[in-house]
Amino acid sequence: MASTKEIKRRIKSVKSTKKITKAMELVAASKMRKAVAQTLASRLYAGYSWDLLTSMSGRLEEVKHIFFDGIRAENPRHSGARTLFVLITSNGSLCGGYNAQAIKKAIALMREIKDLESIDIISVGKKGDGAMRRVGRNVVASFTELPAILSLRDITPIASFITSEYKKGIYKEVFVIYTDFISALSQIPKVRQILPISKIELKQAIDEVNTIDQNIPLAITKNQSPYLIEGDTGKLVEMLAEKLVRMQIYQMMLESGASEQSARMVAMKNASEAAGEMIDDLTLVFNKARQAGITQEISEISAGMASVS
Amino acid sequence: MSKQLKLKIITPEKLILEEMMDAVVVPTIEGEITILPEHIPLIGGLRSGDIVGIVKGEHIPMAVVGGFVEVKEDENKITNVIILADFVEFVTDISEEEVNKAKAKAEELRKQAENKEVVDFEHFATELERSLTRVKIADKWRTRKYRK
Repeated sequence: MASTKEIKRRIKSVKSTKKITKAMELVAASKMRKAVAQTLASRLYAGYSWDLLTSMSGRLEEVKHIFFDGIRAENPRHSGARTLFVLITSNGSLCGGYNAQAIKKAIALMREIKDLESIDIISVGKKGDGAMRRVGRNVVASFTELPAILSLRDITPIASFITSEYKKGIYKEVFVIYTDFISALSQIPKVRQILPISKIELKQAIDEVNTIDQNIPLAITKNQSPYLIEGDTGKLVEMLAEKLVRMQIYQMMLESGASEQSARMVAMKNASEAAGEMIDDLTLVFNKARQAGITQEISEISAGMASVS
Repeated sequence: MSKQLKLKIITPEKLILEEMMDAVVVPTIEGEITILPEHIPLIGGLRSGDIVGIVKGEHIPMAVVGGFVEVKEDENKITNVIILADFVEFVTDISEEEVNKAKAKAEELRKQAENKEVVDFEHFATELERSLTRVKIADKWRTRKYRK
């Protein structure tokens, strides 16, 4: 049996580890709350931009824009051959299966596309970046310096990179792989096509985020006089489309952020619990060793006394 | 009481304002327009500038960067003016000190922007526009009267 001193040292080290994991758990919990609140706050904007799009959609059919579904086929100039993936992962680790799941999803998705050479990747977060480089995919841009609490302006470079590359006609489709935040205990990696904008998918996306808060008027009031449009409709549609893309990316980043923090929270909670159990076990062993030591000393003393008398 | 319109200003981060107004002045791409109650439905893009809400002759100015305005009538026959913008700030909230800071920042950003790559440049361009708009709008309203 190990000496009491050694066991004591181990207990101490496990205790300090437990303190760290506990602290990380609490930090992750508060960050998660913030991220969730942010997601909720952005819903209003999402709801209203959808409203704006539906208000315009009467005109939209007249407007052929490459951002929208079904326009590409008629316009050979824009029929790009490549596919762009945006993979959202975290910078840090210690968050359970969060990154692994998203990366797995990405790899499975890429396998469906036969021609691996036609895939380009934008990675957000160091973990996904490393993984994609390891499997030898073509990473065209990586954003790893994003702050923990996102604001819209942090998303602008990513969104404008995507839209400008898409406008050049390099890509046929753009997908985002992110982790959907369902609850603190369950996060599911998901894929969403953000370009070209399909109206059905966009509606779904906005409905999904609006599941709780139903007071945003998504249904348009009919029989209104037609809208007067200030400025060039084509330009306006393009502006709106760009905003929609950015808003979607922003929301997906927020979802991913919330997922990351809750995954980390759960992982750290488990670690703290495991540390607690380990301390209990070690304490038992320590007490046994101490008891054994005392018993041995007593028997040695009594044996010594017996030999003297 | 004369008719009023409902002004809603929304950014991705939060609902900035929801208030009844007598009129709203909005800087659209085509030029500045004033929206009065019972305006016909309208959609327009915004350029950076100032939105001014008018209540009982008092002005409520806000700095705005990039977005849209939608005017429509809701179920209760109230004209709704919805503004979706990237960034909105009340002029009251822009303090003197901040303006100076924003000026310095704009200057610095402009210098930095010269030797930045394309991706980063986008970031700087928006930052720059934001700083400049704040400065411009704060300067404009410095000598005028408005509701604090």
